[in-house]
Amino acid sequence: MVQSRNLFSFLNKDSTRANIIQGVALLLVLCLFLYLFSNAAHNLDRLGMMFGFDFLNSTAGFDISWSIIPYNPGMSYWRVFFVGITNTLVLSFVVIFFGTVIGTIVGILRLSHNPLVAQLARCYVEVVRNVPLLIQIIFWFTAVFSALPPPRRGYEFGGLFFLNNRGFYFPAPGTDISPIWFIGALCAFALGGWYLLRILRAVKITQAKMPLSILLGLGGWGVLLVACGGVASRFLSWSVPALDGFNLEGGQYIPAAFGAAFVAMTVYRSAAIAETVRAGMQSIDKGQHEAAATIGFSRYQTLRLVLIPQAVRAIIPPLANSWLVAVKDSSLAVAIGFPEVVSVFMQTSINQTGRAIEIISMVMGFYIVVSLIISYLLNRYNAHVQYKVR
Amino acid sequence: MNNDAGLKQFVAKPARVPPHNDQSLVRRIHSRCFNTPGNSVLTIAVIILAWYIIRSALDWAVFDAMWNADTRRECLNISPNGACWAGVISWFNGLIYGRYPADQQWRVDLGFILAVMWLFPLMSKKIAYRNFILVSWIGLYPFFGAYLFLGGEFGAEVGIIHALFTSLAAGFFILLYANWLLAALNQPDLCERVRPLVAWLFPRGIQVICLLVVWGALSLPVALILSQMALEPVAIERWGGLFLTLIIATFAITMSIPIGVVLALGRQSKLPVIHWMSLLTIELVRAVPLITVLFMAVTLLPIFLPSDMELDKLSQVLFAVCIFSGAYMAENIRGGLQAIPRGQYEAAQSLGLGYSMTMLLIVLPQALRLMIPNIMTSFISILKDTTLVSIIGLFDIMLMARNIANDKDWIGLHTEPIAMISILFFIICYSMSQYSLNLEKRLKADRS
Repeated sequence: MVQSRNLFSFLNKDSTRANIIQGVALLLVLCLFLYLFSNAAHNLDRLGMMFGFDFLNSTAGFDISWSIIPYNPGMSYWRVFFVGITNTLVLSFVVIFFGTVIGTIVGILRLSHNPLVAQLARCYVEVVRNVPLLIQIIFWFTAVFSALPPPRRGYEFGGLFFLNNRGFYFPAPGTDISPIWFIGALCAFALGGWYLLRILRAVKITQAKMPLSILLGLGGWGVLLVACGGVASRFLSWSVPALDGFNLEGGQYIPAAFGAAFVAMTVYRSAAIAETVRAGMQSIDKGQHEAAATIGFSRYQTLRLVLIPQAVRAIIPPLANSWLVAVKDSSLAVAIGFPEVVSVFMQTSINQTGRAIEIISMVMGFYIVVSLIISYLLNRYNAHVQYKVR
Repeated sequence: MNNDAGLKQFVAKPARVPPHNDQSLVRRIHSRCFNTPGNSVLTIAVIILAWYIIRSALDWAVFDAMWNADTRRECLNISPNGACWAGVISWFNGLIYGRYPADQQWRVDLGFILAVMWLFPLMSKKIAYRNFILVSWIGLYPFFGAYLFLGGEFGAEVGIIHALFTSLAAGFFILLYANWLLAALNQPDLCERVRPLVAWLFPRGIQVICLLVVWGALSLPVALILSQMALEPVAIERWGGLFLTLIIATFAITMSIPIGVVLALGRQSKLPVIHWMSLLTIELVRAVPLITVLFMAVTLLPIFLPSDMELDKLSQVLFAVCIFSGAYMAENIRGGLQAIPRGQYEAAQSLGLGYSMTMLLIVLPQALRLMIPNIMTSFISILKDTTLVSIIGLFDIMLMARNIANDKDWIGLHTEPIAMISILFFIICYSMSQYSLNLEKRLKADRS
């Protein structure tokens, strides 16, 4: 029988030790939080501030220069939060879309056999990657978009579209018809088109050719779309921007800050994605190139049928990560006054209400939710696309 | 059948002419740039595009540029389409040092030269305690640097602990260079020289005690000298420009390594509480943008810290940047730890080393060595991210550059300062990234 030699021999057992270490760590963290929150309670008391999310229902009272969803100063802080979120998401979405397209093209060009093309693409990537994004945003804002002529001398395209240092103006349907109708009609047409395409693909697979009826259906769908658009535009009042004094009135506009943030972020993202694409393409075994050449594929066919389908597996995970970074980077638009979530909610609203803890946790929560969603979709996709190992 | 008679004799066809294999420049260019019509069009388009870009950039930046002028108006009058570098030149000092007093700027230069010189002995293979050089750079140099940059008198503005560590840092620096010199001359180093004396006093632990004795003996005169002179105090608010940017980036990268090691080890831990706490910290920090962390540090730290503890803005920013880069570094280090073969852990275990000894002596030294290129890449990204502190109002190089446009002589001068700092960042970041690529190749070659 092994007898315990002394009082503390229980400490020699691994599981006991693990429990003690974890308990101490937990206790320390709890104490830290308790300390921080007691400080916070004391400080809030001292400064006469309050804690709680009730302020979200009170009137904001300040204007936001540009928003996707309708907003006016009489609306609540909830609305301000949603305006910020939608602006951030729209900016990130267009950046992700164009950044991915341009980045893929540049990444493939970097692997071109033509040395001039490859070097030009390399220069683009290196220059863009090695200059901080914030500098690029401010460069595009101050040196390009703000340097455009003022509205009175701005560029005009057919009397409908205007480009000047305030932004890009374009005609918009009047507000006498609810936008819900537009969205509904668009969705219906998109659904119809998608359904037609599905049938088309199924038919093509089974019959290896397209029957006339399907083509007629597709054509009819297109004609219907154009006709509906024509009829609708007869009954719509279009609001066209027109010069009024020193400014343009009517229509809708995209502010210069959006343009600068969009261009700078797209360029920056495309350089990062180009590197991802290049690394993914180079990860493919050389034998695949040679095999494709052996069966007589041209370079383009090799790329489309052999390389890209395999590279996608290697590219998607870092690509999704890059998209996540794009959403986070969109917060830099605060530097040029674009009203995204950090700007309208973390800056203006904290200044107005002083509810720093609540607001900061809400904004951070938003980014965490976005990143969780993208990670979840990525995992789903990865499980779907990985080689099926039998 | 008269097969036999009609059987054809096999005659080999004459061999085809070998493909042209002369690697002349003309042929190479032809085969890669003009082999198909499409490729030829592409080549010509690229040449025209590159020519156009280079031409207009050179026109703006060199041929039409103004280098000497007193105001922006003067620039515009003489050369409206060229760059007005005169404004940038007149503000150049501000871009580098911020609003640091002009007659004290030698302290900034000296501090940076010492910081770089501190690392030079690493190149020598002969010197003892090479690992200690990096540790001392992280642990001791900041005190010396803070003393140089902030200034003040020992016992007055400079607290007693700060003064102590400043002297120790200076002493260590002298010790380092003396040992390096002696090693280069193939002489025994200072510690060896005092060994007989120390051995006489302390029979055990000679190595460490020798080091401490020499170190202390060198630090004492430094402390005496430094306490006699007083550097003019410079408030933190006057720090700025590239100087501030580099301070924030360097501080963040050095602090992020210990934070990252702790978080990465925690994440790999088998204890669920530790594992989940580390995981949560890493993932939450990585999910949010740096600018929100900076805003949090600036607005929430004063609320969550005791009311009598007032932090200046730089400390708040440093706190935020360290946490942020620490979480990213943790993921890097986890990658490095996973690259260490299982056999190393098992070998350490079979030698009877515990967890902490395995990590400190076996795993981390190898993992960190493997990760030097990664750490450099992180440094580049931190350096680029540091520009964000301008949004919350620290006068780093970015905000200084934007401020030139507010100067009444140079009002509206936006493009040139931004172009200038873009070039600066490009040179720094590009050379570092090329160096880290080079290093990565060498490390790979070492291992295989």
